Amino acid sequence: MDIGYYPGCTLHASSSLYDVQSRRVFNEVGINLKEIEDWNCCGATSAGKVDDFLAIAMPARNIGIAEADGFSEIVIPCSACYSRTLVAQKRLEDDPLLKKEINTELTKKIQGTIKVSSILEVLLTKVASGELAEKVSQKLKGLKPVCYYGCMQTRFPYKVPVPDDVENPQGMETVLKVLGAKPLDWSYKTDCCGASAAVNDEEAALNLMARIMKDAVAREANCFVVTCPMCQLNMDSFQDQFCEKNEIKERLPVYFITEMVGLAMGVSVAELQIDRHFVESTELLKELNLI
Amino acid sequence: MTEPAREFDSENAHPMVKEVMERSQQNLLQCYQCRRCAAGCPVGEETGYITPDRLIRMIILGDRENALNNQLVWRCVSCYTCGTRCPNDIQTARITETIKKIAKENHLDPLKPKVAHFHDTFVNSGVRWGRLNEMEFMSFFELKNTLKDLKRLKFKAIYDELVAKTKLGLNMARRKRMHMGFQSAKGRNEIKQLYKKAKKKTV
Repeated sequence: MDIGYYPGCTLHASSSLYDVQSRRVFNEVGINLKEIEDWNCCGATSAGKVDDFLAIAMPARNIGIAEADGFSEIVIPCSACYSRTLVAQKRLEDDPLLKKEINTELTKKIQGTIKVSSILEVLLTKVASGELAEKVSQKLKGLKPVCYYGCMQTRFPYKVPVPDDVENPQGMETVLKVLGAKPLDWSYKTDCCGASAAVNDEEAALNLMARIMKDAVAREANCFVVTCPMCQLNMDSFQDQFCEKNEIKERLPVYFITEMVGLAMGVSVAELQIDRHFVESTELLKELNLI
Repeated sequence: MTEPAREFDSENAHPMVKEVMERSQQNLLQCYQCRRCAAGCPVGEETGYITPDRLIRMIILGDRENALNNQLVWRCVSCYTCGTRCPNDIQTARITETIKKIAKENHLDPLKPKVAHFHDTFVNSGVRWGRLNEMEFMSFFELKNTLKDLKRLKFKAIYDELVAKTKLGLNMARRKRMHMGFQSAKGRNEIKQLYKKAKKKTV
């Protein structure tokens, strides 16, 4: 089955491992991710702070492309791109005049009928059908992750249908249980990591990240699992910094959900590019005899 | 912290509330100061006594000067927790996002210039090539910060920034997370046209 695929800028740059993993893992469950043609930047959270019209127009063009390419569903692994695209689609549905105005500049016009899915929504359909369980060749025994959703997976600046519980989402936990891991209950799953504040308001962001880390450590988790590349980069690349500042001794790998699915399917560390994390991320897997 | 009593500015109040409500599409008048937003705000510790409910109050009372430039406006991380928990469905993050724009249009110096630079540079880069190039974007962003600090003779800030970003850069390079390639969208002119349209609209 072919599904439209919007990688977004990050998955073509600093988080290209997430792109590789997503394609590989989906392929395994019979989904071919077809990258939509000539997509553009979604504007991320910045566009909403600079220009409201642009914040809708940028993801709108991508929706138009995906629809013109003939897809009925598009999957967006990056939580920020997913959020912006979903919001843009709903705004255009509620404001036909705005849609008309944007469409005048677009070669591929927006209809607004495509289903915009997060990576979890698609994975969960494969959990429900049992196809994911069939592909699991090794259970992730001993893995005690805390699932970290961040902001953009469940909270939106506009009324859109949210596919999971807003304050206590369970999508990642559901997937990880099928893989044989023991996801832990914790209090910071939808807290903010600071996102871009990590480079423009450092102190505030490091405080936010330290709080998330402290709860994960207190719950005796041995890793984080995330869907958002921004959360991943922040929690991973700044971990030494915020831990040293707050006298936290522990270090926890920050895995993408796709890494976990891939591992359970028996895909190799090299192919999943697990060596591209900042915090040492293969030692734990060796200790647990998972690789 | 003790908060000074607020005064009602009849001249500013009405136009200010009207502008913010229209642009943010949030009904500020429904706020009954229950402060659920304040309780959930993750940057509450950084913003002093200015919580989302206080910001709404400032706008309603017409305290234009403080409403347009305060810690909450510039340190809000747009996590949307306040709006998700608001019993009246007011998305305060949309208000801080709107105020950033109004402040810029009024040529006010942002309290956190780096935050303003970040978002401006991000959007410019995204529009220029149709896709964001992390290296190009970060270079422009750091250049803007450095120039600003140079003007104010803040050499220590420049040094600290240089050390922090070099450390991050080296770390990223070591993990092969630094992307040196270049990406763009051929149809970026469509986005540029839309941007032009957007700019015309706000003026």
